[in-house]
Amino acid sequence: MSLEWMSDAPSPFSKVLVANRGEIAVRVLQAAKEAGLSCVAVFSESDSSSLHVETADEAVLLEGDTLEMTYLNGGSIIEAARSTGADAIHPGYGFLSERSDFASAVEAAGIRWIGPSAHAIETMGDKISARSLMIESGVPVIPGEQVPVEEGADHLGALASAAAKVGYPLLIKASAGGGGKGMRSVSVPKNLRSEFEAAAREASAAFGDGTVYIERLLKRARHVEIQVLCDSHGGAIHLNERDCSLQRRYQKVIEEAPSPAVSPGTRDAMGHAAVTAARSVGYVGAGTVEFLLASNGEFFFLEMNTRIQVEHPVTEMTTGIDLVQKQFEVAAGLPLGISQQEVSQNGHSIEARVYAEDPSRGFLPSVGELAVWRPPSGPGIRVDSGVREGDSVTIEFDPMLAKLIVHAPDRRSAIRRLDNALSSFVVLGVRTNIDFLRNSLSHDAFQGGSIDTDFLDSTDPSELSGPEPDHHTLVAVAAAAQRLGIDRQQVAGTESVDDHTGHQGDPFRTLGRTFP
Amino acid sequence: MEWSVPDRQERYKASLQGGEGPVSITSLTRDGTEVSIPETSVEAEGKPSRVTVTVGGEAKLAHVTRTGDTWWIHMDGRAHEVLFHEQGSKASANEGSLKAPMPGTVLQVMAKEGQRVREGQHLMTLEAMKMEHKILAPKPGGITKVHFSEGDRVDMGSSLVEIGD
Repeated sequence: MSLEWMSDAPSPFSKVLVANRGEIAVRVLQAAKEAGLSCVAVFSESDSSSLHVETADEAVLLEGDTLEMTYLNGGSIIEAARSTGADAIHPGYGFLSERSDFASAVEAAGIRWIGPSAHAIETMGDKISARSLMIESGVPVIPGEQVPVEEGADHLGALASAAAKVGYPLLIKASAGGGGKGMRSVSVPKNLRSEFEAAAREASAAFGDGTVYIERLLKRARHVEIQVLCDSHGGAIHLNERDCSLQRRYQKVIEEAPSPAVSPGTRDAMGHAAVTAARSVGYVGAGTVEFLLASNGEFFFLEMNTRIQVEHPVTEMTTGIDLVQKQFEVAAGLPLGISQQEVSQNGHSIEARVYAEDPSRGFLPSVGELAVWRPPSGPGIRVDSGVREGDSVTIEFDPMLAKLIVHAPDRRSAIRRLDNALSSFVVLGVRTNIDFLRNSLSHDAFQGGSIDTDFLDSTDPSELSGPEPDHHTLVAVAAAAQRLGIDRQQVAGTESVDDHTGHQGDPFRTLGRTFP
Repeated sequence: MEWSVPDRQERYKASLQGGEGPVSITSLTRDGTEVSIPETSVEAEGKPSRVTVTVGGEAKLAHVTRTGDTWWIHMDGRAHEVLFHEQGSKASANEGSLKAPMPGTVLQVMAKEGQRVREGQHLMTLEAMKMEHKILAPKPGGITKVHFSEGDRVDMGSSLVEIGD
């Protein structure tokens, strides 16, 4: 296929290696194929039959048992690009996507990096340098105290005095943290030590860096973020906001665009602040500037994510702009080709993250085989997923199974569409949060658009539990299914056979007998 | 055979009729006592894991499948589990023991043998998926046994801590 869109590009490429796994790898690999590019996947041993490997034109095994040896192994990934002739690398999100040393190494190897410069990643990735730069650029930041915490030294003295100045409740954040890992709230001084230690441990386990800093915890605030797109010619626009206030322990659960709490005036001001933030680091590519929106309408810079976001689809649905395609174009040196005035906002989109986790057991990750996996489909329904029926879910990787995204003319109808799609999303064999998502959606506070980021953590679990199931009918169905041999029907071509005793239809067959 | 639902102690027995076509439930007992249920029958749809369930004259589609001793049922927009037991098997042994909800690594151990704990007290921290999970006491009592120490790997279902009265 000839690449019309690439023909005028100053720095063209033709083969993209995707340094990731799961749904985002599938999403980027598909986008590459649609754009007429060849694509290469990398995978660990346990992912050898994963969907992302199947989706790619070629795939390279990353040997080793740990993430450090596989998806976090920049050297092996660059070698995989070299050996397959890939001339560009897309990092997805997580893993190496926000590692400036990896971005530098990719460029140094003569391979195009589909992302912002190492300088931008490094500046925004360090929460302290990002904060100072925002203050300099006039972007509002959260009231807080910077605490330089030296590795190995006595952290607690410095931390405790800074904490006293900032005031409780406060947040301890690992400087290298993200995605809820390495972030802990502390409501009273006596918990400072244990929460600090937990944050430092999580951050060093997940990101290999144990440095932390603290800031005031704003109560009753919403998480609203702005998608930005910048090219290498000085073009910078924003694609409006996403509201990600429905969070559990700082992990986003449901995201939507537009935000029910953002007025046109706030949108303009936030969008302007986000573009200013991006310009201040010479940002190139797709990025997200996260803000906390206080109940009085004030907003504060939280952080900038220098990569594609998990929740990018809600922006794609409402603006009609394919963000991954734009990442390819910008990386090839092409101009954005869209002005701020041309960015439209069409209808309402909501994304729900379907996790393999068990809400009845404190949201512990659940494992097992996806014995039945039937994602919903229909008008205005999009499912981004990296798994398929029969796949095993292990604790080796992130428990997100799929993102279910809906698009509808307005928020009310989007909520109804999402609820209906969730109700027909059949996942058996692994416990998921699908019921919990439905219960959250139907809660008055979410329906009314009045939640804040504490909503899920501060709401009585009984308000988020569904109707009590009819145990009698369920037992009856299970017993009947066993009699019908439904489990054995799965084997292609075999009929339901009773190979134990009695004959089919004998009402006494199961009474008082034990079957193997 | 007997049946139960997760997190409940009650044991059910079902009597069935049919098999070549629809299977109907002729009676259902809970802990030996007959419970009245609406007329219920289940028919295979001829497609893997799909059945038609008719309850009190109302027919609906359900998805069912079995993994190990668990029957998974998706009906009326929600997924459920029903557990299958051989007749007479004991209810969950080791009442008061805390089992690892998932495989992982023990990060911290707060519980000491002989210690009195209150309900909800933090006993142990497990790490899995790079996230920390607190293991809390499900009831007040005395710690009779701590099975693991910091740094140990635990399998799903391993007994972590035992609490007596």
